[in-house]
Amino acid sequence: MWVCRVNPIRLMEGIPRALELIQCMVPPAWEKIPGLVRPALETIQIAFVGTAFGASLSFIIGLLAARNMHSIALLRHTTRALLSAERALPDLIVMLFFVAIVGLGALPGVMALIASSVGMLGKLFADAIEEIDPKPVEALEAIGATRLQIIRYAVLPQILPSMIANTLYRFEVNIRMSILLGAVGAGGIGFYLVTSMRLLKYQEALMIILMTMVLVMVCEKSSEILRKLIIGDEILR
Amino acid sequence: MLSLRNVSKKLPDGRPLLKGISLDVQKGEFIGILGESGVGKTVLLRCINGLTRPDEGEVIINGDGRPQRINGKKGKDLRSIRRKIAMIFQGSILVKRLAVVENVLTGGLGRISTLRSLVYGFTDEEVHKAMEALEQVGIQSLAHRRTETLSGGEMQRVAIARAIFQEPHLLLADEPTSNLDPKNTEAVMELLQPLTKQIAIVGVFHTPELVRKYCTRAIGIRAGCIVYDGSPHLTDETLRLIYGTRNQIPDCQIH
Repeated sequence: MWVCRVNPIRLMEGIPRALELIQCMVPPAWEKIPGLVRPALETIQIAFVGTAFGASLSFIIGLLAARNMHSIALLRHTTRALLSAERALPDLIVMLFFVAIVGLGALPGVMALIASSVGMLGKLFADAIEEIDPKPVEALEAIGATRLQIIRYAVLPQILPSMIANTLYRFEVNIRMSILLGAVGAGGIGFYLVTSMRLLKYQEALMIILMTMVLVMVCEKSSEILRKLIIGDEILR
Repeated sequence: MLSLRNVSKKLPDGRPLLKGISLDVQKGEFIGILGESGVGKTVLLRCINGLTRPDEGEVIINGDGRPQRINGKKGKDLRSIRRKIAMIFQGSILVKRLAVVENVLTGGLGRISTLRSLVYGFTDEEVHKAMEALEQVGIQSLAHRRTETLSGGEMQRVAIARAIFQEPHLLLADEPTSNLDPKNTEAVMELLQPLTKQIAIVGVFHTPELVRKYCTRAIGIRAGCIVYDGSPHLTDETLRLIYGTRNQIPDCQIH
C-alpha cells in the first residue's frame, strides 16, 4: 500500500481534476467523425486479420496439441508448453517485441494479435479436439481413410461449433486489444486517441472514446448475430 | 475370403484373451460369433481389420484373388486393405453433425485421394450412388437431415448404407443390434442377410436366437478358444458348451 502510495486521500484530491477534465471534454468534437472513419476501419482490419490468421493457425496447433490426434508425446507437450508460455506473456510485451522486429505500424499489431489469439484459441481448440467422440474417428480408420480425411470428416464437424463460437469471442477481444495496441504504435484509432490526449485536444479525445465504444458494441452485436446464424443452421459444414 | 491363423491376443495385464484362433470364411457366409461378454468376441473382430493388433498369428484376406496379410501392415498398405472391409459397430458411430448422406459418403473415403476429398468433395455420381445405398436400407427420405436427429434404428441403417457404399468384400458387424428394439433388430438383420450374395459377413451377436434365424454358421468362443464351429441351429447342449454352464474348462481342440 505505502509503496504504491495508494490511499483514499489522493483519490479525493483527484476528483476536482477529473471534473475539470470532463468539462474540457464536452462537447465532443463531432466534426472530427469523417477523419476518424479511416483509423476506425484500420482498427477493425487489424483485429480481423489477426483473428483470421490466428484462428487458422490455432486449428493446426490444436491438432498438434491434442492427445487423441497423434502419439508423439514430445510434440504434444512442446506445443502445449509454448501455448502456455504465450499466454503468460502480457500482450503489450509481445507487441513491443514485434515492434522491435518489424518497426511501428499495423504489422506488429497484427502479429501480436495472431500470437495472442493462438495462445488462447490453440489451447481451446486442442481441448475441444480431445473431447470429441472417438468412435466416428475409429470408424473412419476402419474404412481406410487417411489422417487428413479423418480430420476433415470426423474431427472438424464435431469441433466446428465451439471453434466458431470461440473465434467470434476472440474477435471481440481482438477489437478491444487492437485499440489498445494502437495506443502503443500499431496504428488505428488508438493511436489517434493517445495523440489527441497528448496534444490536450480533449474534445477530440472524447469523440474518439465514444467512437471506440460504438465500434466495440457494433462488433460484439454482429458477432453475436453471426454466431446464431451459423451455429443455429440445420446443416453445418 | 478370410483366414485367421493362430490369432492370439493378451490383455494389457498379460492374461491371454484369445489363444490361437483359426478360422476360414468363404464368400456368401454369414457367421455369427457367440460367447460370454468379455470373452474377446469384439477384440477378435477388431483383429480382422487391424483396429486391434494381434500379438501372434496371421489375418489374411483374399477378396480379389490376391491373398493379403493384414496384421503387421501400416499406413498406405493397411488403408488399402481396410478399404475392402466394412465395419458396423455397437451403437452409433456416425458423425452426428453431418447430414445423413454425407455420413454415407464417408464410406467412400478410402477410394478417393486425400486431396480430392479435402478440396472438391464428392462427385454427383458418388452422391447418386450414396442415395441408392440409402434407398436400399429404406431411408432415402432422410438423406438431407442432420444425423443427430435420427433414431437409433435409423442411425444403424445409415451405418449399413455406408457399409454398402464402401463396396467391401467383407463386412464386420459388432453387435449391430445390441441397443435396438426387437422390431429394429429384425429390420437390421433383414438388411444384412441379403448382402451375403456378394460378400461375407462376420458378426458378433449377444443372442443365439439371431444367429439361429439369420446366420449360416455359428462360432462359439470360450476361454480364448473356439469351442464350437458349425451349424447355426444351436442345441441346448452347444449353448451350454459356449456359455459354460457345463462346468469344465473347454479343450481347445473341440470343434
